[in-house]
Amino acid sequence: MNRVSIKITGAQGQGINSVGEMVAKGLKRAGYHLFGYREYMSLIKGGHSSYQLDIADSHIESSETKVDLLVCLNYIGLKRDLQDLKDGAILIHLIPGWKFSDDDKKLFEERKVTVLYLPMEKILKEMGSRPIVGNVLVTAVVWCLLGRDVNNVKDMIKEQFGHKGEKIVELNYKFVDRGKQYKDEEAGELEITLPAPDAKRKDDLLLTGSEAMGLGAIHAGVRMYCGYPMTPSSPLLKYIADNQNETGMVIKQAEDEITAMQMVSGAMFAGARALTATSGGGYDLMSETLSLNGITENPSVMVLAMRQGPSTGLPTWSGQGDMLLACFGSHGEYPRLVMSVSDTEDCFSLMPEAFNYAEEYQLPVTVLTDKHVAEGLYMQPQYNMKKAEMRRGKLITAQKELDKLKSSDRYDPSVEDGVSPRWLPGSKAATYCAQGDEHDAEGNVDETGPNAVLQMDKRMRKMESMKQNLPEPVSFVVESGKWKEERDPKDIDLLVVSWGSNKGAILDSLCELSACYLHYSYLWPLKTEKLMALASKAKKTIFVEATHQAQLAKLIKMETGFDFDHQILKYDGRPFFVDELSSQLLALSS
Amino acid sequence: MSIPLHISGNSSVHDFYCATECTWCDGCGDYGIMAAAKRAMVELGIAPHDVCLAFDIGCHGNMSDKMLGYRFHGLHGRVLPLAAGMKLANPKLPVIAFGGDGASFSEGVNHLVHSIRSHYPITFILHNNANYGLTTGQASSLTWQNQPMNTSPNGIPEDTMRPMEFVFSLGPTFVARTWSGDIKQMTRVMKAAIQHRGFAFVDVLQACPTYNKFASHQWLLEKCYDVSDEGHDPSDLEAAKKIAFDTSERVSCGILYQTEDVPHFIERLVPRKDVKTTPVEETKITDVSALMKRFV
Repeated sequence: MNRVSIKITGAQGQGINSVGEMVAKGLKRAGYHLFGYREYMSLIKGGHSSYQLDIADSHIESSETKVDLLVCLNYIGLKRDLQDLKDGAILIHLIPGWKFSDDDKKLFEERKVTVLYLPMEKILKEMGSRPIVGNVLVTAVVWCLLGRDVNNVKDMIKEQFGHKGEKIVELNYKFVDRGKQYKDEEAGELEITLPAPDAKRKDDLLLTGSEAMGLGAIHAGVRMYCGYPMTPSSPLLKYIADNQNETGMVIKQAEDEITAMQMVSGAMFAGARALTATSGGGYDLMSETLSLNGITENPSVMVLAMRQGPSTGLPTWSGQGDMLLACFGSHGEYPRLVMSVSDTEDCFSLMPEAFNYAEEYQLPVTVLTDKHVAEGLYMQPQYNMKKAEMRRGKLITAQKELDKLKSSDRYDPSVEDGVSPRWLPGSKAATYCAQGDEHDAEGNVDETGPNAVLQMDKRMRKMESMKQNLPEPVSFVVESGKWKEERDPKDIDLLVVSWGSNKGAILDSLCELSACYLHYSYLWPLKTEKLMALASKAKKTIFVEATHQAQLAKLIKMETGFDFDHQILKYDGRPFFVDELSSQLLALSS
Repeated sequence: MSIPLHISGNSSVHDFYCATECTWCDGCGDYGIMAAAKRAMVELGIAPHDVCLAFDIGCHGNMSDKMLGYRFHGLHGRVLPLAAGMKLANPKLPVIAFGGDGASFSEGVNHLVHSIRSHYPITFILHNNANYGLTTGQASSLTWQNQPMNTSPNGIPEDTMRPMEFVFSLGPTFVARTWSGDIKQMTRVMKAAIQHRGFAFVDVLQACPTYNKFASHQWLLEKCYDVSDEGHDPSDLEAAKKIAFDTSERVSCGILYQTEDVPHFIERLVPRKDVKTTPVEETKITDVSALMKRFV
């Protein structure tokens, strides 16, 4: 895979996102394959944050640790990020009179780095403008250094600021021209050569995992969203709330996570599809309600957007350490489904499935995502609106069927698959109680021993019947330098197993190796048949996860007794970078 | 799917009958409250399948399988957001939430605060027996001073909360107080509460013969009076507060304050203006092409 990466660093509030987003949009519209990755800190102004774009000659869902172009809007980047420069890289900075150390100068010499100083303050003063327009100047400089036509930037400015009037647009245009002038004068012919674009992808979407998940949720028929802000789940709340006037959805920013989960549970009981999302701490608060939905067999869906560490931990960074929490957290034993998204494709397509399983098996579903997917910027072929189906299982709505119901049908323990009929409040039918105490078939409290066994067995049978119907994990192989899905891979040297957002870096690394990747989307209940079949063929097995404990590997061991040959684990809050991961995989595979 | 098509329009107390044996103590106020709740629904023409009843945890929660209706017996302290969720999903359904003073003034006091300020159009019946009955008589935040209780033999070191001052500080639109020995009054109050436009708060002072030795049935019988007998105007907020707060000599009962002029939560939602369907009816696979195109 031929790839190039550019990174803009600066203090939060300095506008690195607006530069990054405009460059990304421009490149996407020209058909360049790209992936965007943001790092930022838990504060509003200051700190050190970055916006990185990786561009490749085929679909890409990962970042590199090293960059070809580094833009430092403040001095912190100059102190921290110079080691990230590749051979032949370009460094642009905005700091007047900055003196590089001897070590820095040596590094520039060794790596043949071109250093450019962009006198932003001076230019702003000359042109008599406020600092905010400086972002446009930086964007234009970067755009020209990528060898692109500066008029593309003007078109995007027109699109973005057109509604603010001609004067604003003209002012921005001046800065675009000034950016081009700067590039011509200071860098001359120097340009970064981008990998070839693919015109077919010009009409792709450019969106984050949170936005994709929001679209998926609305697509799934979600009509009510209740949430409480918590990074990295907040962008989903924001996307859905921002579009409420168009979707007509009921949005409630609740007083806390307990409320959000309770409201969602009440709404699902009434028969609407409703959603909430939170991160680890909020999940802890919601988990009592998940247990309630377990015993009352009330369908529910919640999104758990993971970040790194216990307690507040690293609140704006990524991790996968809440997986076993989602599988086993909250009190008592009850059936549930835990699944995970990995990119914008399944952020969209798995949301209807989450609701379908919740309603078919009448249990709580947790959809795992993480900061890396939630805020990563993906190129995504347009979604197919005809693919999703609405499956509501044994939900009874026809009056003829409702007339036949007895209260004791609701929790009838004799049903073979554990799933008994469900009908909605307001239906003209016999009524029942969704009972949080152990109950008989009607929902009346029943504390007798035999009944407790009968009802527990009924509920837990749903785990087995659901497991039968869940898809197996998906396997990918590499063919002539590109990965592709392969249902039944043969001749496996190396088998890599993982889940969630690691998929991007793993697939992009695979292009360098001859390996098979097995990707899990459905985590609990866990299907292991395909894994065992592939593992028996493989010469070596490697497990990859962003945790300290190798949680899915533990779960696999618990279910099968199987041990991986190697584990690659990471828990510093950063995602797997493609160069780092491929060298680790390479070392272990030889 | 449209549910309910319309409120049935007729029902009888017998329709709500459930064969499950009652398990409350002799003289428990819950018997009267349940009788009044059923009567109020019957007089409003609500049949069991027309209504959603949400119960908290506590002695009152054991009502969840003593009468019919679509019921949900949830978690301790959380009945209000559960009930609000039901209502927002299907605004055509009457939703009545039942909770005790432990749930509403300790464990889930935040939900009471935000339910009142959110103006959810639901009814809340507070079973106020001023103690934790089901866990055998511990003090709640409404237990009087100097009352030896289970786990506080010397009485509580904290101050007793004043529920009416608290509730009135939150800008309520319907505040009533009644007591478990007066089924007629409770029925009248509950009917008005169910018909109220927004969030109806009904404080039912409840006799607990086993654990509450201070505000007994006899005490309530002597102290409670009906404000409508004395010409109280429920639209007069200041007068309502005065009679609600001062319980030193007598305890005012009936509808203390009511205004129908304040829009409820759903009426305040801009995206739901002029929407005639419910989220329950709208739940289906939705084409999001228009939203998607913005990312091109």
